[in-house]
Amino acid sequence: MSGSQTKSQFVAVASIAAELSAVMEVAKEISLAAANAKAIAFRAGEKAKGFQPITDFINDLAKETIALVNKINEHALLLYRLTVNEQRTTEACKRFEKVAAMTTNAAYADSLTQPLEQAQLRMLACRREFDAHVAELLDQLAEVMHPARAARVIAANSRIEASQAGEYLQSLQAVAESVDHAAQVIHVKVHRCRSALSLINSPE
Amino acid sequence: MKMTKIYEGAYQWIMYGRDPHKPEKIIDTNQYVVRTAKRCLLIDPGGIELFAPMLAAVLHHAPVEEITDLFASHQDPDIISSLGLWDQALPHAKLHASGLWEGFLRHFGCESIEYVAIPDNGGTINLEGVVLQIVPAHYLHSSANFNIYDPQAKILFSGDIGAALEAPGAPMYVDNFDAHIEKMRYFHQRWMPSNQAKRAWIERVRSLDIDIMAPQHGRIFKGDDVKRFLDWFEALQVGIAV
Repeated sequence: MSGSQTKSQFVAVASIAAELSAVMEVAKEISLAAANAKAIAFRAGEKAKGFQPITDFINDLAKETIALVNKINEHALLLYRLTVNEQRTTEACKRFEKVAAMTTNAAYADSLTQPLEQAQLRMLACRREFDAHVAELLDQLAEVMHPARAARVIAANSRIEASQAGEYLQSLQAVAESVDHAAQVIHVKVHRCRSALSLINSPE
Repeated sequence: MKMTKIYEGAYQWIMYGRDPHKPEKIIDTNQYVVRTAKRCLLIDPGGIELFAPMLAAVLHHAPVEEITDLFASHQDPDIISSLGLWDQALPHAKLHASGLWEGFLRHFGCESIEYVAIPDNGGTINLEGVVLQIVPAHYLHSSANFNIYDPQAKILFSGDIGAALEAPGAPMYVDNFDAHIEKMRYFHQRWMPSNQAKRAWIERVRSLDIDIMAPQHGRIFKGDDVKRFLDWFEALQVGIAV
């Protein structure tokens, strides 16, 4: 792993954590929108009868997104630790190789062979583990896209139901817009996470 | 990296320093090794930039598996920022350092090496019967700070005490104490915070039988120059920045 690659890996992992934190905020906004919608639908009574089950769906989607993001966050933290380990083992290998080049005439130069080989093995193991976790994280991010897509469909349905809610039309339409906007934001942010991860995974 | 034997008996003290390839802007440091038949103690093994030349130099005297102990007088980067690399080279070694600095030093990477926490009143390191005393030197300059005294070789490793800021390639030993004073004055006045700590250390060290006082920067003091240093340091006002 080159110096610039290490840096970009650190930056990519940190930016994923930042994007995920934003996704979490948006998911919480959806949850709030669901509670708001439920209150409006309750007040609207018969006029918003079709809207009531939708509020439960919205709430479930928000909960699902929050749970998934929590899981992904743990994974992102692990990726950060693996990046630190990989950086340390890579640095050790580089320095051990430097020592080997400097000690051709030293009495105990050969004793460095084993630590060097072990450091190289650790470095490869770190890389393999990192790659495996990146692949898993990509899958998990794909999973987060599902509730986001579902939220957009629900937002469309909400608009239809809102149109029949008489004087509550505007309030319920605002809820639908808010859910739709949140779903779009999640989509963009998760897409950014996936791009950052793909950059790490691309060969040099 | 220049290697100088400063004691040779049943075991050896070797000083490593004056590395000609050292990056220009990092402070020059002296590293010391106590080498017994099958073990090796690295005293203040140095910063991360010095790891490769230091290990390369030590391999002239000991194989990797016989480097069993590290000692860090305090927590500064020029003392021990190489810890993460030693940790990967010497997974079975021990690091002797103040218990106060454990949570700090682990930031450098200390997964495999065993951290042996030194209490405030010091302790000993036993290398195959060679018993080295860990002498408290707190606040000189670090708040948890130790020297190493070898009563058999009569060597005091004094860490930053006795240090001098020198031009690259300076001689290993003090040859004219009076001329050396100006190289030490600012370092001691500015880096050492406490006259009280200074007096306590001088009293403790005066009770030891010392032939060689070996600091972590600059030149080594021998014979009467050790006493000259103690007298000069006693009269010096330190902690001048307040």
